[in-house]
Amino acid sequence: MRMDKKIILGIDFFILAGTLALIVFSVGYVQPLLIAPQDGYESNNGAVLFSFEKADVILIDDNIDFSSPDEYHVEDNLVINLKPGVYYWKAVGVLPSEIREFKINSEISLKLKQDGEGYEVVNAGNERLNVDVYSEGKIIGNVVLDVDGSEGVFGDKFVGRSDE
Amino acid sequence: MNKKLLIVLLIGLFLVEGAMAIGITPGRSTFDYSPGSVKNVDFSVINSEDKVIDVVVLVQGEFNESISVSEVSFSMQPGESKTLKYGFTMPPNLSPGSHLSEVVAVQLPGRSVTSEAFVGAAVGVATQIIVDVPYPGKYLDASLNVIGPSDDGEVTFVMPLLSRGELDVVKANAIVEIFGPFNDQIDRLNTNTVSVNSGERKEIVANWNPEVAPGQYRAVATLVYDEETRKIEKTFSVGERLLEIDGVDVNDFRLGGIAKFEVLVSNQWSDAINGVFAEMSVFNKAGEVMAEIKSPTYDIHSLEKKLMVLFWDTAGVSRGEYDATILLKYSDKSDQHDFKLDVRDDEINVIGIGYVISSEDTGGGLFSNGLVVFLVVLVVVLVIVNLLWFLYLRKKIAKK
Repeated sequence: MRMDKKIILGIDFFILAGTLALIVFSVGYVQPLLIAPQDGYESNNGAVLFSFEKADVILIDDNIDFSSPDEYHVEDNLVINLKPGVYYWKAVGVLPSEIREFKINSEISLKLKQDGEGYEVVNAGNERLNVDVYSEGKIIGNVVLDVDGSEGVFGDKFVGRSDE
Repeated sequence: MNKKLLIVLLIGLFLVEGAMAIGITPGRSTFDYSPGSVKNVDFSVINSEDKVIDVVVLVQGEFNESISVSEVSFSMQPGESKTLKYGFTMPPNLSPGSHLSEVVAVQLPGRSVTSEAFVGAAVGVATQIIVDVPYPGKYLDASLNVIGPSDDGEVTFVMPLLSRGELDVVKANAIVEIFGPFNDQIDRLNTNTVSVNSGERKEIVANWNPEVAPGQYRAVATLVYDEETRKIEKTFSVGERLLEIDGVDVNDFRLGGIAKFEVLVSNQWSDAINGVFAEMSVFNKAGEVMAEIKSPTYDIHSLEKKLMVLFWDTAGVSRGEYDATILLKYSDKSDQHDFKLDVRDDEINVIGIGYVISSEDTGGGLFSNGLVVFLVVLVVVLVIVNLLWFLYLRKKIAKK
């Protein structure tokens, strides 16, 4: 009788331990693996490589609640161009992955080219620019340039700042 | 030839010398107001040029007395990125709202290498310093974003909320009313409800599955938070601005004569589409264009079908099958439709007008992975084994 009880307890243990081990292995196996970008990644370059395994959807949002995510159905790595800001991303396969945060820094970059008598101002950064045009120390105009946008201007000083 | 090349090179050199470029990052730093607190912030100035530049750093705006920069004048090597620091002491007694100052890096006019002339302009870039001072009581900043329609036609209304008041907002939600092209209310949606603590950012969302004709619509969101309300409007489009070819016919045809093609086009959009025309190309066996013909322009009203007419002179054309395309041009769109013409002595049959629509979802997703399926099945089997053992077999063996 005592032997029977031992056998039953042994079977209990075997079944529970086996089930637990299999569940742990299965969850580990099917949970998406996030490779890049790392948590806390920061860059001035808006082109971000998303690298992951064991998922077929990635979600990117500027809100950690993922209330309005951009959804990408992909089975491989992909590069997405993002505007400056703080983002959260996760991958979803059989199970959802952890959530990672990353940041695209804004880069304000202004290029000036001689263009006949005047100049051409070019937005070489990753945010829309608001450019003040000065002549002899006074503001004489203002132009707004989209990313990669350009415009012909006359003046002797040009100062660009974010227009977002 | 050599003289020309020299002139081109000289012009190129002058153009290069006439260019200036400077960058700064980050473009903006935003701080919550805390009187007397000190912020030390790193920022980088980037020389995007292939030459040494001279830079001065200035502070301008409301806080110019409260901001000090680590270096105010320096030279930079080609392609160099230089990290600087500014210290900012928040002044007392700022009024509610946003306050702005700027640290500006200015590239000074440089002397040309190829001549003694100056490039007579300075170019600067600013990193902004913004201080948000909370409003008394409750205050929500909100905007309305319309996302979609998605592949399944769903439109999502998202309202980011930023609590800029001193007090927390306990309950915020919005009613989104949707109006059609004739200002008639089509639908009314409720967003979810959230609480937004002071300084916090949250979103409220409403989803809409439109069962309406494609076109321009207007969303009016009434944000309700505690005892306050605010209205925000936005226009958006549903569906694609689309013309469809329903059919192409040729009647009363004799080979060698003029073939009259009648192209039946329908406007699926809820507004008129004006200035529509069709261009048809017919290709010979070698794939060369043997005829290019164009229709007059047409204005097609909303949900209207219209016959567009093209004439093809078939003098010298032999019997047989020919590849052809019709380009339907309207607004900034150009839709191509490929088909075949079966030209006979007294008729032309138009074969294969229409689209081939392929599904994007070609794979079975993760469940196409055999091991995943095996693991899922194994877990299910183990759950059954557990249930069987603990609820039935174990008791049965114990009784014996």
